[in-house]
Amino acid sequence: MDPIKLERKILSRNDRVAAEIRELFRSRGIAVLNMVSSPGSGKTSLLEKTLGGLSAELRIAVIEGDIQTENDARRIAVTGVPVHQINTGGACHLEAEMIRDSLDHFDLDDLDLLIIENVGNLVCPSAFDLGEGARIALISVTEGDDKPLKYPAMFHTANVMVINKMDLLPYTDFSVDEVIRNARSLNPDARILKTSCRTGEGLAAWSDYVREFVAEMR
Amino acid sequence: MHELSIAMEIMDVVEKEAVGHGARRVKVIHLRIGDLSGVLIESLSFCFETIRGEKDLTKDAQLIIDRVPVRILCRPCESEFAGDGFLVRCPSCEGLDTELLQGDELSIAEIEVD
Repeated sequence: MDPIKLERKILSRNDRVAAEIRELFRSRGIAVLNMVSSPGSGKTSLLEKTLGGLSAELRIAVIEGDIQTENDARRIAVTGVPVHQINTGGACHLEAEMIRDSLDHFDLDDLDLLIIENVGNLVCPSAFDLGEGARIALISVTEGDDKPLKYPAMFHTANVMVINKMDLLPYTDFSVDEVIRNARSLNPDARILKTSCRTGEGLAAWSDYVREFVAEMR
Repeated sequence: MHELSIAMEIMDVVEKEAVGHGARRVKVIHLRIGDLSGVLIESLSFCFETIRGEKDLTKDAQLIIDRVPVRILCRPCESEFAGDGFLVRCPSCEGLDTELLQGDELSIAEIEVD
Protein backbone atom coordinates (compact mmCIF):
# COMPACT_ATOMS: atom_id res chain seq x y z
CA MET A 1 0.00 0.00 0.00
CA ASP A 2 1.06 3.63 -0.50
CA PRO A 3 2.25 5.47 2.59
CA ILE A 4 -0.56 7.29 4.41
CA LYS A 5 0.23 11.00 4.74
CA LEU A 6 -0.92 12.34 8.09
CA GLU A 7 0.96 15.54 9.11
CA ARG A 8 -0.97 15.32 12.35
CA LYS A 9 0.10 17.29 15.44
CA ILE A 10 0.44 15.10 18.53
CA LEU A 11 -0.99 16.35 21.80
CA SER A 12 -0.05 14.69 25.03
CA ARG A 13 -2.83 13.63 27.37
CA ASN A 14 -1.85 16.52 29.65
CA ASP A 15 -2.20 19.04 26.82
CA ARG A 16 -5.64 17.69 26.01
CA VAL A 17 -6.90 18.02 29.59
CA ALA A 18 -5.27 21.46 29.87
CA ALA A 19 -7.11 22.62 26.74
CA GLU A 20 -10.38 21.30 28.17
CA ILE A 21 -10.06 23.15 31.50
CA ARG A 22 -8.73 26.32 29.81
CA GLU A 23 -11.98 26.38 27.84
CA LEU A 24 -13.96 25.85 31.05
CA PHE A 25 -12.14 28.79 32.69
CA ARG A 26 -12.63 30.94 29.59
CA SER A 27 -16.36 30.24 29.42
CA ARG A 28 -16.76 31.28 33.05
CA GLY A 29 -14.42 34.26 32.86
CA ILE A 30 -12.06 32.88 35.50
CA ALA A 31 -8.46 34.14 35.40
CA VAL A 32 -5.90 31.46 36.30
CA LEU A 33 -2.30 32.04 37.35
CA ASN A 34 0.31 29.27 37.58
CA MET A 35 3.14 30.29 39.91
CA VAL A 36 6.45 28.49 39.46
CA SER A 37 9.90 28.85 41.00
CA SER A 38 12.65 27.02 42.83
CA PRO A 39 11.80 25.94 46.37
CA GLY A 40 12.14 28.92 48.69
CA SER A 41 11.88 31.80 46.20
CA GLY A 42 8.87 33.20 48.03
CA LYS A 43 5.81 31.95 46.12
CA THR A 44 3.72 31.43 49.25
CA SER A 45 4.80 34.76 50.77
CA LEU A 46 3.92 36.64 47.59
CA LEU A 47 0.61 34.78 47.53
CA GLU A 48 -0.15 35.80 51.13
CA LYS A 49 0.56 39.44 50.27
CA THR A 50 -1.55 39.19 47.10
CA LEU A 51 -4.52 37.81 49.00
CA GLY A 52 -4.10 40.42 51.74
CA GLY A 53 -4.28 43.17 49.13
CA LEU A 54 -6.88 41.82 46.72
CA SER A 55 -9.28 39.44 48.48
CA ALA A 56 -11.59 42.31 49.42
CA GLU A 57 -12.15 43.27 45.76
CA LEU A 58 -11.77 39.93 43.92
CA ARG A 59 -13.19 36.47 44.51
CA ILE A 60 -10.03 34.37 44.75
CA ALA A 61 -9.28 30.68 45.35
CA VAL A 62 -5.93 28.94 45.68
CA ILE A 63 -4.59 25.50 44.78
CA GLU A 64 -1.40 24.61 46.62
CA GLY A 65 0.90 21.97 45.12
CA ASP A 66 3.51 20.29 47.29
CA ILE A 67 5.07 16.87 47.42
CA GLN A 68 3.99 16.55 51.02
CA THR A 69 2.50 18.54 53.96
CA GLU A 70 -0.47 20.89 54.20
CA ASN A 71 1.73 23.69 55.55
CA ASP A 72 1.22 26.09 52.66
CA ALA A 73 -2.54 25.51 52.57
CA ARG A 74 -2.69 26.32 56.29
CA ARG A 75 -0.84 29.59 55.65
CA ILE A 76 -3.35 30.50 52.95
CA ALA A 77 -6.40 29.36 54.94
CA VAL A 78 -5.59 32.02 57.58
CA THR A 79 -6.42 34.69 54.99
CA GLY A 80 -9.96 33.30 54.67
CA VAL A 81 -9.57 32.48 50.96
CA PRO A 82 -10.78 29.01 49.82
CA VAL A 83 -7.75 26.78 49.39
CA HIS A 84 -7.18 23.19 48.32
CA GLN A 85 -3.90 21.38 48.89
CA ILE A 86 -2.67 18.83 46.35
CA ASN A 87 0.00 16.49 47.68
CA THR A 88 1.71 14.92 44.71
CA GLY A 89 3.30 12.23 46.89
CA GLY A 90 6.66 12.46 45.17
CA ALA A 91 5.80 13.85 41.75
CA CYS A 92 7.84 16.97 41.05
CA HIS A 93 5.12 18.99 39.28
CA LEU A 94 1.37 19.44 39.02
CA GLU A 95 -0.54 18.06 36.02
CA ALA A 96 -3.72 19.31 34.36
CA GLU A 97 -5.74 16.33 35.58
CA MET A 98 -4.87 17.16 39.20
CA ILE A 99 -6.20 20.67 38.64
CA ARG A 100 -9.38 19.40 36.95
CA ASP A 101 -10.02 17.01 39.83
CA SER A 102 -9.47 19.80 42.39
CA LEU A 103 -12.11 22.07 40.90
CA ASP A 104 -14.89 20.25 42.79
CA HIS A 105 -13.58 21.94 45.93
CA PHE A 106 -14.55 25.39 44.68
CA ASP A 107 -17.69 27.19 43.61
CA LEU A 108 -16.71 28.18 40.07
CA ASP A 109 -19.73 30.51 39.79
CA ASP A 110 -18.28 32.55 42.62
CA LEU A 111 -14.73 32.98 41.37
CA ASP A 112 -12.73 35.67 39.54
CA LEU A 113 -9.21 34.39 40.04
CA LEU A 114 -7.69 30.97 40.69
CA ILE A 115 -4.05 30.99 41.73
CA ILE A 116 -2.13 27.73 41.45
CA GLU A 117 1.11 27.49 43.41
CA ASN A 118 3.12 24.78 41.67
CA VAL A 119 5.61 22.43 43.30
CA GLY A 120 8.93 24.24 43.86
CA ASN A 121 10.97 23.06 40.87
CA LEU A 122 12.30 24.97 37.88
CA VAL A 123 12.43 21.99 35.51
CA CYS A 124 9.40 19.73 35.22
CA PRO A 125 6.51 22.20 35.76
CA SER A 126 7.54 23.99 32.56
CA ALA A 127 6.43 21.00 30.47
CA PHE A 128 2.96 20.72 32.02
CA ASP A 129 0.31 23.17 30.90
CA LEU A 130 -2.31 23.51 33.65
CA GLY A 131 -4.81 25.44 31.56
CA GLU A 132 -3.58 28.69 33.08
CA GLY A 133 -4.02 32.11 31.49
CA ALA A 134 -0.58 33.25 32.63
CA ARG A 135 2.52 31.65 34.05
CA ILE A 136 4.44 33.57 36.70
CA ALA A 137 8.09 32.61 37.29
CA LEU A 138 9.64 33.87 40.51
CA ILE A 139 13.34 34.21 41.08
CA SER A 140 14.81 35.57 44.31
CA VAL A 141 17.97 37.65 44.52
CA THR A 142 19.65 35.01 46.70
CA GLU A 143 19.69 32.75 43.62
CA GLY A 144 22.09 33.20 40.70
CA ASP A 145 21.33 35.86 38.10
CA ASP A 146 22.16 33.24 35.43
CA LYS A 147 19.24 31.07 36.54
CA PRO A 148 17.12 31.87 33.47
CA LEU A 149 19.93 30.52 31.27
CA LYS A 150 20.27 27.37 33.38
CA TYR A 151 16.53 26.65 33.38
CA PRO A 152 15.58 28.12 30.00
CA ALA A 153 12.29 26.29 29.39
CA MET A 154 10.75 27.77 32.52
CA PHE A 155 11.67 31.36 31.72
CA HIS A 156 10.90 30.89 28.02
CA THR A 157 7.31 29.95 28.83
CA ALA A 158 6.64 32.52 31.59
CA ASN A 159 4.42 35.54 30.94
CA VAL A 160 5.80 37.38 33.95
CA MET A 161 9.09 37.14 35.81
CA VAL A 162 9.00 38.39 39.39
CA ILE A 163 12.35 39.18 40.99
CA ASN A 164 11.62 38.68 44.68
CA LYS A 165 13.43 39.41 47.97
CA MET A 166 14.66 42.73 46.60
CA ASP A 167 15.34 43.85 50.20
CA LEU A 168 18.25 41.38 50.29
CA LEU A 169 19.90 42.76 47.15
CA PRO A 170 22.65 44.73 48.98
CA TYR A 171 23.86 41.50 50.62
CA THR A 172 24.28 39.56 47.37
CA ASP A 173 26.25 39.68 44.11
CA PHE A 174 23.01 39.32 42.17
CA SER A 175 22.77 41.73 39.23
CA VAL A 176 19.22 42.79 38.38
CA ASP A 177 20.37 44.07 34.96
CA GLU A 178 22.03 40.76 34.19
CA VAL A 179 19.02 38.63 35.20
CA ILE A 180 16.77 40.84 33.07
CA ARG A 181 19.14 40.57 30.11
CA ASN A 182 19.26 36.77 30.52
CA ALA A 183 15.50 36.48 30.78
CA ARG A 184 14.98 38.72 27.74
CA SER A 185 17.31 36.52 25.68
CA LEU A 186 14.83 33.68 26.20
CA ASN A 187 11.62 35.60 26.35
CA PRO A 188 11.60 39.15 24.96
CA ASP A 189 7.95 39.78 25.80
CA ALA A 190 7.73 38.76 29.44
CA ARG A 191 6.73 41.44 31.91
CA ILE A 192 9.30 41.89 34.66
CA LEU A 193 8.44 43.02 38.19
CA LYS A 194 10.61 43.51 41.29
CA THR A 195 9.16 42.78 44.71
CA SER A 196 9.97 42.41 48.36
CA CYS A 197 7.37 40.79 50.61
CA ARG A 198 9.33 42.17 53.59
CA THR A 199 9.38 45.87 52.70
CA GLY A 200 6.37 45.90 50.37
CA GLU A 201 8.48 47.15 47.44
CA GLY A 202 6.77 46.48 44.12
CA LEU A 203 3.69 44.84 45.62
CA ALA A 204 1.41 47.60 44.34
CA ALA A 205 2.71 47.07 40.78
CA TRP A 206 2.23 43.30 41.18
CA SER A 207 -1.35 43.79 42.40
CA ASP A 208 -2.00 46.13 39.47
CA TYR A 209 -0.79 43.42 37.11
CA VAL A 210 -3.11 40.85 38.73
CA ARG A 211 -6.10 43.25 38.52
CA GLU A 212 -5.34 43.94 34.87
CA PHE A 213 -5.05 40.21 34.13
CA VAL A 214 -8.37 39.43 35.84
CA ALA A 215 -10.09 42.24 33.89
CA GLU A 216 -8.65 40.88 30.65
CA MET A 217 -9.89 37.32 31.30
CA ARG A 218 -13.37 38.34 32.50
CA MET B 1 8.64 12.93 31.20
CA HIS B 2 5.34 12.87 29.30
CA GLU B 3 6.82 10.68 26.56
CA LEU B 4 4.70 7.67 27.55
CA SER B 5 1.50 9.62 27.06
CA ILE B 6 2.81 10.88 23.72
CA ALA B 7 3.70 7.33 22.63
CA MET B 8 0.18 6.21 23.55
CA GLU B 9 -1.33 9.08 21.59
CA ILE B 10 0.79 8.12 18.55
CA MET B 11 -0.46 4.54 18.81
CA ASP B 12 -4.09 5.69 19.00
CA VAL B 13 -3.82 7.90 15.92
CA VAL B 14 -1.82 5.35 13.93
CA GLU B 15 -4.21 2.52 14.77
CA LYS B 16 -7.30 4.50 13.72
CA GLU B 17 -5.70 5.62 10.45
CA ALA B 18 -4.33 2.18 9.60
CA VAL B 19 -7.63 0.44 10.28
CA GLY B 20 -9.49 3.18 8.39
CA HIS B 21 -7.32 2.50 5.34
CA GLY B 22 -7.86 -1.25 5.61
CA ALA B 23 -4.24 -2.01 6.59
CA ARG B 24 -3.34 -5.19 8.44
CA ARG B 25 0.11 -4.19 9.59
CA VAL B 26 1.95 -0.96 10.36
CA LYS B 27 5.55 -1.12 9.16
CA VAL B 28 6.95 2.34 9.77
CA ILE B 29 5.80 5.47 11.58
CA HIS B 30 7.53 8.71 10.52
CA LEU B 31 7.60 11.42 13.16
CA ARG B 32 8.80 15.02 13.02
CA ILE B 33 10.17 16.22 16.34
CA GLY B 34 11.58 19.72 16.84
CA ASP B 35 14.39 20.39 19.27
CA LEU B 36 12.10 22.74 21.21
CA SER B 37 9.19 20.29 21.42
CA GLY B 38 10.20 19.25 24.92
CA VAL B 39 10.26 15.59 23.90
CA LEU B 40 13.28 13.43 24.67
CA ILE B 41 13.72 11.22 21.62
CA GLU B 42 15.47 8.36 23.49
CA SER B 43 12.71 8.33 26.07
CA LEU B 44 9.96 8.39 23.43
CA SER B 45 11.61 5.52 21.53
CA PHE B 46 11.86 3.50 24.72
CA CYS B 47 8.18 4.11 25.58
CA PHE B 48 7.17 3.24 22.01
CA GLU B 49 9.06 -0.07 22.07
CA THR B 50 7.47 -0.90 25.39
CA ILE B 51 3.88 -0.51 24.16
CA ARG B 52 3.98 -1.40 20.45
CA GLY B 53 3.54 -5.14 21.19
CA GLU B 54 0.11 -4.57 22.70
CA LYS B 55 -1.57 -4.84 19.29
CA ASP B 56 -0.80 -7.23 16.42
CA LEU B 57 -1.28 -4.31 14.04
CA THR B 58 1.70 -2.40 15.46
CA LYS B 59 3.90 -5.08 16.98
CA ASP B 60 6.55 -4.84 14.24
CA ALA B 61 6.28 -1.10 13.66
CA GLN B 62 9.50 0.91 13.45
CA LEU B 63 9.78 4.51 14.47
CA ILE B 64 11.71 6.80 12.13
CA ILE B 65 12.26 10.22 13.62
CA ASP B 66 13.06 13.31 11.58
CA ARG B 67 14.64 15.69 14.09
CA VAL B 68 13.95 19.32 13.25
CA PRO B 69 16.64 21.79 14.35
CA VAL B 70 15.71 25.26 15.54
CA ARG B 71 15.77 28.08 12.95
CA ILE B 72 15.05 31.65 13.96
CA LEU B 73 14.52 34.74 11.83
CA CYS B 74 15.60 38.16 13.10
CA ARG B 75 12.96 40.54 11.72
CA PRO B 76 14.96 43.82 11.72
CA CYS B 77 18.20 42.50 10.20
CA GLU B 78 16.56 39.63 8.27
CA SER B 79 19.29 37.17 9.19
CA GLU B 80 18.43 33.57 9.95
CA PHE B 81 20.23 31.71 12.68
CA ALA B 82 20.27 28.32 14.38
CA GLY B 83 18.91 28.65 17.87
CA ASP B 84 20.95 27.67 20.88
CA GLY B 85 18.25 25.99 22.95
CA PHE B 86 15.63 28.53 23.92
CA LEU B 87 17.83 31.57 23.28
CA VAL B 88 16.24 33.92 20.78
CA ARG B 89 18.74 36.82 20.80
CA CYS B 90 20.08 37.49 17.28
CA PRO B 91 23.83 36.79 17.11
CA SER B 92 24.31 39.42 14.35
CA CYS B 93 22.52 42.47 15.73
CA GLU B 94 21.80 41.41 19.35
CA GLY B 95 18.13 42.18 18.67
CA LEU B 96 15.20 40.37 20.25
CA ASP B 97 12.52 40.93 17.64
CA THR B 98 12.74 37.37 16.35
CA GLU B 99 10.45 34.69 15.01
CA LEU B 100 10.71 30.92 15.36
CA LEU B 101 10.68 29.44 11.84
CA GLN B 102 10.97 25.81 12.88
CA GLY B 103 11.89 23.64 15.85
CA ASP B 104 8.70 23.22 17.88
CA GLU B 105 7.21 20.44 15.72
CA LEU B 106 5.70 17.32 17.23
CA SER B 107 3.77 15.47 14.58
CA ILE B 108 3.16 12.20 12.76
CA ALA B 109 4.25 12.84 9.15
CA GLU B 110 3.15 9.57 7.56
CA ILE B 111 2.83 5.85 8.13
CA GLU B 112 3.83 2.91 5.94
CA VAL B 113 1.42 -0.01 6.07
CA ASP B 114 0.62 -3.36 4.47
